[in-house]
Formats: sequence, C-alpha cells, structure tokens
Amino acid sequence: PATLSSSVPGNAVQLEQEQQGRVVMRERYLRSLSAMAGHPVRFTMYEKVNVTALFEASDIDILNFHVSELQTPLGVQRDALLRCSDIISYTFEL
Amino acid sequence: TAGRSAQPPTDKPGERRMAEMKKLYGVGAAKIQAMETTMQLNFDKNCDKKQPKYWPVIPLKL
Amino acid sequence: MTEWQRKTPLEWQKYVTKEVNVTAAEKHDYKGWVLTVDPVSANIVLVTFLEDGKVSVLVVLGHAVQEVGIVKEADDEMREKLALLFMPGESQSHGQ
Repeated sequence: PATLSSSVPGNAVQLEQEQQGRVVMRERYLRSLSAMAGHPVRFTMYEKVNVTALFEASDIDILNFHVSELQTPLGVQRDALLRCSDIISYTFEL
Repeated sequence: TAGRSAQPPTDKPGERRMAEMKKLYGVGAAKIQAMETTMQLNFDKNCDKKQPKYWPVIPLKL
Repeated sequence: MTEWQRKTPLEWQKYVTKEVNVTAAEKHDYKGWVLTVDPVSANIVLVTFLEDGKVSVLVVLGHAVQEVGIVKEADDEMREKLALLFMPGESQSHGQ
C-alpha cells in the first residue's frame, strides 16, 4: 500500500516499537472488519449521502467495501462496491 | 534463461512483498500477512461470484 | 494527504485507548474510545459501550479526519474491555 507512512527510527529499539505498534493496530482493525461481516452498517458519505447495507468484505488496502442489500434512495441494490474515498464514517452495533 | 547477466535479477513479487511486510511489521509480519491473505481471497472470491457494481456510479469525492 | 494520514504509527498509538473527539469532513463530530488506528488507511475505530450491553463501533475514514482531541485516558477496566473486543476466545491460548 502506498499510504503507509513511516518515520525514520533513530535506533533499533524505536524501530521495534513502531513495528509492534503497527502489528497491534493492524490486527485490531482487521478483526473489526471480520466482526462487521453480515451486520447492517450505516455509511455517512460525502455530499450528505447516507446509506445502509450489510457488510460483506473489504480489500486489504481498504479502498473498496463489498456490501449487500444496499438501501439507496432509488431502491435496493443486491450487491455493490463502495469506494472508501466516498465514505466519511461508518457505524454498526454488536 | 542463459545470457541475462547484463540485466539485474528481477525480484519475485511475493518475496518483495514479504520483505516489505517484514520492514513494516517485524516479527509480526507473518501473522499480519496471513490475516491479509485470507481477507483478500475472501474479497476476490466474493467479487468474482457476485460481480458488485460501484455505487454510486460516479465517485462522490474526486 | 492530510496531516492525520501523514502521522507515524508511534504518533497514532498515542491516541489508542484514549477517549477522543474527532472532527471529520463536512462538519461531522464523533466521540468514543479509540480501539485502534489502522496503519494502512489511518481509519480511526471509535467504540462506545452502551447501557444495554451492546457495543457501538464507529469508524472515521483516515482521509476524512480533520482533528482529533484527547478527552481522557482509560482506566484499567476500560483498557481491558477494549483489548478483549473482537479478540477470539479470551480464555483460550494465544495465537490463532
């Protein structure tokens, strides 16, 4: 992924801390995506567009979400891809 | 494959990716890569089967 | 890229397990406990524990984050709750 930012660690200890931090943060994020699968999710998008859908899957670069039963203003779309660049936030309950 | 000594050897994409993962995630690289591989396979399989179309058709944010 | 997206993992980590206010694009405001910041997308996962025992999860996309302010630190109980969220079988052995 091109969006990964990285500091220039001054020493090996800092490098290791940074790597461990990345592992914990990435693992938690990936697990949150797994937990979301099959749940209704509310998406707040740009231009005041709000939609709900069932979350299915994401690519690993977090660029596209595959959703189903997308409730659009013009009806239900059985399967759809949402561009993550269109989304401001998303929320679900467990 | 003889006679290619003038060219630098090209990396295998898998190896280059693992090297990149190692740099980012250190000793946890294998674990993260395993999780990501599962997730990407699932996404690709889903898309092959369901053929989802982008919504909205035109991006909201350019 | 925004300022938030340009932060390093060590900088993002300072927000993890803190209660924060997030100001996002188009004047959206969110509040919750930071479970994590995805180091790939800079997405922030905010968690709120509801009274009925449910958990509300709200994720602000990294590109839409404008400002993040820390409200307070987690106590031990909150830290534990956050650490266990989404983790498989807390009583089982480590690993997969």
